[in-house]
Parts: sequence; C-alpha cells; structure tokens
Amino acid sequence: MAIEDMAFLIPVLPALAFVLTFFLGKKLPNGGAIIPIIAIFTSFVISLMITLNLLQNPEQVVSQSYNWFAILNVGVLIDPLAAVMLSMVSFVSLLIHIYAVGYMSHDKAQPRYFAETALFTAAMLGVVLSDNILQFFICWELVGLCSYLLIGFWFEKPSAASAAKKAFLTTRVGDVMFLAGIILLFADIFRIFNGSIPEGVYVLRFDEIFTHIPEIAALNTQIFGFEVSHLTIITLLFFGGAVGKSGQFPLHVWLPDAMEGPTTVSALIHAATMVTAGVYLVARTFPMFLAAPYSLLVVAYLGAFTALFAATMGLVMNDIKRVLAFSTISQLGYMMLGLGMGAVIGVTAVGDSLFHLINHAFFKALLFLCAGSVIHAVGTQDIRQMGGVRKVMPITFATMLIASLALAGFGIPGTSIGVSGFFSKDPIIEAAYLFGESTENWVPYLFSIVAALLTSIYIFRLIFMTFTGKPRTNYGGHESPSVMTVPLMILGVLALVFGALTKTGFGKFLEETFANNFVNMDIHALAEIGKYHLASHGAGSEPLLILWMPVIVAIAGLLISYLIYGMRIIDMSSIVSRKNPIYKLLYNRYYQNAIFTQFLAVKVIYEGLALAGRAIDRGFDWTVYLIGHIFTEASDGLRLLQTGVVQNYATSVVTGVSLLIILVKLILEVF
Amino acid sequence: MAIPILSLIVLIPFLFAVLTLFTKTKEQARVSALFSSVLVLALSMFMYFNFDSTTSQMQFQEFAQWVPSLGINYQLGIDGISMPLVLLNAIVIPFLILFTWNDDKKQPNRFYALILATQGAVIGVFVALDFFLFYVFWELTLVPLFFMVSIWGGPAKHKASIKFFIYTHVGSLVMLLGIFGLYFAAWGQTGTPNMGIEHLLSQFQFIASGLSRDLIFVALLFGFLVKIPAFPFHSWLPDAYVEAPTAGSVLFVLLKIGGYGLFRVMLPILPFTPSMNLMIAIMAALGAVSILYGAFLALAQKDLKRMVAYSSVSHMGYVTLGAAGLVSLSVSGAMFQQFSHGLIMSIMFMACGVINNATGTRIINELGGLARKMPKLAVIMMLAFMASLGLPGLTGFIAEFLVLTFTYINQPTYVVIAILAIIITAAYHLWAMQRTMFGVYNEKFGALKDISASQTFSMAVIAILILYFGLNPSPVLDMMITNSEKLVSLMAVAGV
Repeated sequence: MAIEDMAFLIPVLPALAFVLTFFLGKKLPNGGAIIPIIAIFTSFVISLMITLNLLQNPEQVVSQSYNWFAILNVGVLIDPLAAVMLSMVSFVSLLIHIYAVGYMSHDKAQPRYFAETALFTAAMLGVVLSDNILQFFICWELVGLCSYLLIGFWFEKPSAASAAKKAFLTTRVGDVMFLAGIILLFADIFRIFNGSIPEGVYVLRFDEIFTHIPEIAALNTQIFGFEVSHLTIITLLFFGGAVGKSGQFPLHVWLPDAMEGPTTVSALIHAATMVTAGVYLVARTFPMFLAAPYSLLVVAYLGAFTALFAATMGLVMNDIKRVLAFSTISQLGYMMLGLGMGAVIGVTAVGDSLFHLINHAFFKALLFLCAGSVIHAVGTQDIRQMGGVRKVMPITFATMLIASLALAGFGIPGTSIGVSGFFSKDPIIEAAYLFGESTENWVPYLFSIVAALLTSIYIFRLIFMTFTGKPRTNYGGHESPSVMTVPLMILGVLALVFGALTKTGFGKFLEETFANNFVNMDIHALAEIGKYHLASHGAGSEPLLILWMPVIVAIAGLLISYLIYGMRIIDMSSIVSRKNPIYKLLYNRYYQNAIFTQFLAVKVIYEGLALAGRAIDRGFDWTVYLIGHIFTEASDGLRLLQTGVVQNYATSVVTGVSLLIILVKLILEVF
Repeated sequence: MAIPILSLIVLIPFLFAVLTLFTKTKEQARVSALFSSVLVLALSMFMYFNFDSTTSQMQFQEFAQWVPSLGINYQLGIDGISMPLVLLNAIVIPFLILFTWNDDKKQPNRFYALILATQGAVIGVFVALDFFLFYVFWELTLVPLFFMVSIWGGPAKHKASIKFFIYTHVGSLVMLLGIFGLYFAAWGQTGTPNMGIEHLLSQFQFIASGLSRDLIFVALLFGFLVKIPAFPFHSWLPDAYVEAPTAGSVLFVLLKIGGYGLFRVMLPILPFTPSMNLMIAIMAALGAVSILYGAFLALAQKDLKRMVAYSSVSHMGYVTLGAAGLVSLSVSGAMFQQFSHGLIMSIMFMACGVINNATGTRIINELGGLARKMPKLAVIMMLAFMASLGLPGLTGFIAEFLVLTFTYINQPTYVVIAILAIIITAAYHLWAMQRTMFGVYNEKFGALKDISASQTFSMAVIAILILYFGLNPSPVLDMMITNSEKLVSLMAVAGV
C-alpha cells in the first residue's frame, strides 16, 4: 500500500481518537490521553513520509477526489504547501498532547479535554489537506467549534464561558465573509459554465478554481462608482475570513480573551491548530490574490498594521499569557505582510510567509508551554508577582530564553548563524524594504521595523520580570515533571536550529506548489492580471545597514528591557501609571472591548435592533387581534369559534366552504 | 404491488389513535402508540428501500373512484418531494413517544391518540394526490394539535390554541378559495370535473383570464405562507409552539405541510402566473426577511422555548427563499431544510421540555451551569444548537449552503440579507447556551437529575441522524434533486 493511499488517515485518525476518547477515556489512565497521542503520532508519520517523498519527487502530489453529493466533492490534496503544514501541525500538536498529560493531570475532565483537542487537531489537519474550498470551509468551521469548546473548557467559570462565545462569534464574522466569498465564487463559475456544469467537474476544487482565474478577474461590478473585479471582491471576502481566524485587526479581539482555556489549549490555538489557518487560506488561494488588483496590498497593509498595533499592547500586559497572545497577533501580522509582499516578489512570498509560520509554530508553542510550566509551578499568571523563577525552573528558563531569542530574531546576516525566527522574519522585512523601493511606499517597512523593536522589548520584559531578580511573592514552585520538560527541550532545539537548517531548501520546496505539477500557473501572467509589478530581483541584496537593521533593533530592544526590567536603572513608575493617557490607552487595549462588546453588541444589536424588533412583533400581534376583534364585533357567528365545541367548528367550516364556493363561482363568471 | 402501502401508513395511525383512545392505563396507551408508530416506521423504511430516486414520477400509486360526479378520487402517491417528509414523520414519532415514555400526563390515552392522529393526518397531506383529499387531511391536522395545546398546554393555552386555530384556519380557507377557483376553471375548460392535483396544476396554464390565474396563485400562496409560517404571518407560531406541551411542539415542527405546498403546488404553476416576477420577488423577500427578522426576535427573547420558536421562523425562511431561487439545487436545499429543520427542532424542543420539567423555569437568565448536573443533556443540546446555527457537518449547513449559494444566482440581494442573519443566529444560540448550560450553577435548583435513559436514547438517535445526514445527505437529497430538476425544467419550458 503506497503511502499516498493513507493520506486520508491524517485527519481521520485524530477524529476517530475523538470518538474513542470521548466514550472510553474515563476508563483509561490519564483520561485516555494515549489514544490521541498514538493517533496523532501516526498522522505525523504519514505526513512526514509524504513530505519526504515530495522533497525527492516534487511532481508526486497527492490528489484524490470523490463525489460527496450533487456537484460537490471531498478530496485530499497534498502538495508541498500542504505537506509542510501537515507535518508541522501534527508534530506540534503531538508534543502539546504529551505535555498535557502532565499539565492536565489534576483535572477531573481529562477525557473531555483529550477528546476535544484530538478533534481540534483533526479539524485543522482537515483544513490543510482539503482539495476544495468548501471542504476547507467545513473543517475551518469545525476548528472554530473546537476552539469554542476548549476555550470554554472550564465552563463553570463565567469568564471562560464568555470568552468562548466571544471567540466563536468574532471569528464567525470572518467566517460569514468567507462563506459569502465562496458563494460569489460559485455563482461566477456557474455563470462561466452557463449554468450547466459537466458531470464529474468539481468546480470548487482549487485546481478548477485556479484555471478560471482570468475569467473571474474579467467580471466586474460597480461599487460606489468604481469598477471592481469580482476576483478582488472574492479574495477580500476570503481575507475577511482569514482576518477573523488569524486574529488580524479589527477581529483580533477574541484572541487575548481566549486565554481562559487551559494553557495547552492556548498553545494549540496559537501555534498549531487555529490561527495559522487564516494565513494558510491566503497561501492556499495565493494565485487568486496575485491576480486580484488591490487584494495583496490590503493584505500587506493590514498585516503590517496589525504587527505594530498588537506589539504596542504587548508592552503593557501583566498577564504572562496575554503578552504572548499579543505577540501571536503581531507575528501573524508579519505572516500576512509576508504574503502581501507577493505584490513585488511574486510566489516567493508564500515560501517566506510559511517559513515564518512554521518557525513561529515551534517557538510560540514553546513559549506557551514554558508559560504553562511556570504557571503550573508558581500558581499565578501575573508577572509582577513572579521574579527569580530561573532558580527553581532552570530547564523552563533555558528553553523559554531560546524561544524569546527566536521570536526577537537574533542572528548574523549573511551567515548560517541565527535562531529560527531570524531566518524567517528578516526576509519578510527585507521584502517590505523592496516593496518600499519599487513603490515608493515605506509604510509597511517602517511598521515592520518598529514592530520588531517592540517585539524585542516586550518579550525580554517578560523574561526579566519572570525569571531574573528576586521572588516578589512567596510562590514556592518546582521544576515540572519530565513529561512536560522533554517536549520543551525538543521544541527548544527546533526553535534554535530549524531556521538555519532549512533556510534555503524551504522556499524552493514551497515554490514547487504553484510552479510544478498540480496546477501549472504562469506567475507573471497572474501578476499582470492583478496589475502588480514584480521586482526584477529577489530580496536579500539590500544595503548592509538594511540587512542588519532587524538585528540592530532586536539588540536595542533587549538592551532597553535590560535597563528597565533587568537592572532597574530607569524608573518606570511615572510612565506606568493610570494617569498617563498613552499607558491607559494601551492597557485598556484601545478600548476595543467598550467599542465592540459594550457598544456594538449590546447597545446596537441587542438593545437597539433586537429589542426594537420585539416591539414591532407585538405590533403584528396586535394587528392580528384587531382584525379578529373587528370580525367578532361584526358577527356573532364567528364568536361561536371561541366556545370550543366541535359541532360549532364543523358548522362554521361548512358554512364557510359554501360561501367560498359561491364567491369563487361569482369571481370566475365576472372575469 | 399488492400491498396498498400508502393507505396503510395513513390508516394505521388513525386506527391506532382510536384504539389508544379506548385504552385504560398509561401502559396500554403508550405501548399501543409505540407499536403503531414503529409499524409506520417499518413500512416507511420498506417503502424507502424500494423507492426509485432517479425518477420524478409518482410511485406506490393507489387509485379508487370516490365521488365520480364531482371528479373526486381516492388517489395516493409518493415522490421525491414527499418521501423525505413522510420519512421525517415516521422516524421522529416513535422517538417522540419514547421520549414521553415516563411522563406523568393526565389522560394518557387521549394524549397518545392525538399524537397518532396528527401523524396520520400529516402523512395524509403528503401522499394525497387529490385536492379534496389533500384539503381534508390538511384541515384534519388542525384538530388534534388544537386539543394538544388546549388540554396539555401551558398557562396561556386557551388563548394560544384558539389563536392558532383561527389564524391558520383563515389561511386554509383562503387556500381553499384558490383550490375551488382552479377546480371550477379547469372544469370549465375540460368539461369534466377532476380534483386530481396533477391534473389541476397542468390545467392552470390554460385558464384564459390572467387575473384569475393571479388570484388563484395568491390565494394558494397565502394559505401555504401562513402555515410555514413566513413573515408577517408568523404571529400564531410563537404562542402555539410555546404553550404546547413538548410533544405538541415537536408535532408542530413536523407539520411541514406549508413548505410542502410550495413545492407540490406553487412551483409547478409559477411560470404560468402573469405576475410571475412579482410573485418570485415576494417569496424571496418574505423568505429573507423571515430569516433576519426571526433571528433578531430570537435574540430578544428571555424565554428559551420562545427563542427556539422564533429560531424556527428564521429557519423556515430558508424554505421560502430557496423555493424562490428557482435553481434545482436551491429548491433541493429548501426541501432539505424542511427535513433538517424537523430533526433539529425536535431535539431543541425536547431539550426545552426537559429543562422546564427539571427546573420549573424556561427563563434563560434564571438558569445557568446546567451542564454540570446534566452532562448528557449538555452534549446533545450542544449538537442541536450547533446544527441549528448551521455548523458544517450537520444537516442545517447542507440546507443553508445550498439555499444561499444557488439562490444567489437569481436573487443576489435577498441572499445578502439572509447572510447577515448568520451572525445573529450564531449569537443567540451561543448566548443562550452560555446562560443556560455554562457558568455558575444556580444552587436553588438543588440536585438535578440528568435526562432519563429513554430520553437520552430518543434524543441521541435523532442527534445521530442529524450528524449522519449532515455528512452524507445523498440518501434523501438525491430524490429531492431529481424532483426539483423537474420543477425547474418547467420554468425553462415556459421560457423563463
């Protein structure tokens, strides 16, 4: 049996693990954690074997389609893009599952936990290997459901129940845009086929969609007097879905609150199974974005803005997980920016962005698991109450330091020395520089550089406040058991070396996705449709200062943090005060809660529209009663209806019918 | 074909309804009812497995002359439009009876007799091929439901039952007006009276007067829209659904005769109506507005059952909208929505009933944290809520996706309105879930017991069906597609 034939098992095994763990978990040790661990391990092995095979034979893309119902299909597509995602998702998820055996050992609801995380993983793997946009959407929604269940895992906590709802609803706003995009796409393809789609053609398959890009791009609609290509509308609607799932501004509001779930769930959401889905969506449909005027620019600007915007809030958070949450939003902004740079570097952008996605998955999972390890031992999430944790938790400290260096992106340009984040973030920033050069628009570059500085500041603030100095409260604490520290060490090694090992091969491998085999697309022709001017050369040949710039700001950030939080030379008390309007603005997260929850959800939608609707509905009811009243006043015969005696109903029915017959006869004779 | 299987599945419930009426104890009543409903289920399954879903022709036809002088015949048949709805009734009723197995109802003999009578009448509507027979069954559905509400209903049961009766009866009378118009006009054309549904519908196009055709169409449409119900004729529904006992609410949910009328009667004559475009626009608009309006109203409700009732208005909007989409897959989606909605809402109302019985209240804000005490209910209710808010993998999504996608081709504006409602739909479901099932347990309810074995079993089976048909809709969707292709091809023949 060829390995390709087992591809469908990649999501199916964890899905089966969900069912088994849900019903049998109670009877097994550790809530039946072994079931999802074995299932996900097998998925990982299959994914890895397919990836290795693809590395040697890039043309051996796994592509299988079966009829689902009507003109829709289900199928598996594993090209280089999907292969690296599958391997990463299953691997990181596997480590998090192993770690959770220790982390969740005191929780009574372990079977439910492991069942739901298994389904979460299955749904994400399903997203990745979908060969058509509808199946993609279906799994995408299941990811949303699982995040809802897991964020609300401790559902007795009102804050958890509320955060779960918020996450689901906010991402749902994006999902509805995504669905609208699919509907519009379907309608357009339907029109292209003149309403009769041939037997056996599955129009929502990615290859089928891509072949119709020029025709869809040629369809235009007038919006506010502007001619807008349907492809632009569709891709922007897709991007709306990505904005929701990947926590981009302004739909990022759910992600910091999603901390209400167990820390392992946060690690899953932030690294492997959820927020990367949005980036993956844009990468998967990249040819469409490349042929859609303006779409890539929107992706780029929103990504750059989110990278900076989230980093500013990361500076002032005191909850260890919340700092990491804003860090995720910011890094996702970089990935989106990376994709948006397709406007100048074409399909290389997908490789850049995905490279950062994979590296980020390793170091962000590590950051969260380390944070979980600290919380597990210290019993608080507030970094103001920590300090000196390094002494009691040396392994956790070492691995978290590696992850932080990776996040900040330390390395030496032009060599193979550097942590993983260095090799993946720098190409994005350099591409932004190239974008500035060729379009005279420096905003994305500036945003990305400032965000890099802030990133370094907030992450080392976290490190210094948590691990160095003296304990600020009497927290006790101990190093975590090896079931938790071993996954940390594995991720630590990856965060350290993965970037350096794969920095050249990765991009090349991913370029095969759109250049080779599965669909043969002329990137330049697509970019021409999208009116993008690709640069003649790739990024990486900028002036030395530009190449060093990201590293310089990372070091600067480290120094600033060290002076303030390590040495405590600079007194922050005048700045960190509720009287400082900027601090207050950041601390209150730009009042987004007041705007979205208090105003939009409660005041406008609930109190405004829904309660007004109730008043209108009473109006309808009264109208009905009024009509009834007029009749009862007019006719005593109708009043018999209210006596409840069957004979009277019979009489009135018969009388009514006779009258009706006469009436109809009259009408027919008149006309 | 020797066995008159359609007659059997209509008559068995009525026969057993009478028999059940004369039972002495609860034990006898429920066993008799269960026996009857299982028999109907078995016959329906037999029929389903011998059903050819590749043809749009009527199958299992039965014919007997009844009143030749008026052209009234005893004529039954089933096709891809009615088969899924018959199945829906046949499947849910036995589990409804199991669900109520241990209830302490007064007059159990009457209670179960009325359930069976409703089932017989509803299936009768679906399989009748003669307009007279159709109307008799149509009106017959009113009677048991009326008594169901007025005997076992909540505090405002009398008001609700009378409102429901008069309101939908007025709708039925207007519909009857349309039937008579069609009947006499066709009689005038052909010279012989005939009440056959297919015959009358095929004669509609030959009626000379355009105004008559419009009037007939509007009269029929009004009757069906009231029954569905579509905005703004929905105001009988919340009171009736809420005041009805749980079994009554489920029976209401299975009463899919209004939507059925759209496919059986309205779509075949739509292309021959002079003001066809206006009619399509009215249907699409009422469907879209029902979706959005019902969603907002559901969000505003404080009573869980009333919320579910408005949610029902919202979901039935997809039926009207999809029918007006006039693409075979949008029409199939609308048909599938009827099937899906029947399954989903059955569990939703069962869950409301359980919660009300356990805690004595349905006010959402007074509940909370029930998941801790009733984990089985929480799991099933979560699935039903997710199905209702249109989560992929469950039946609701299939229906809504088909309706939205394929209606968009002809009616983009109304689809955009409907899409806006998706977020509101998610909001009221999740908000209700948060306030009833999650959060801090309200200790004043004391030690609640989880749902009983028979309740778990019946709800779980329906939940599994929702999942099954959500993943594999073909077993019922294929026959719907066959028939909607025929309906839509009529449009093409008429040059639309």
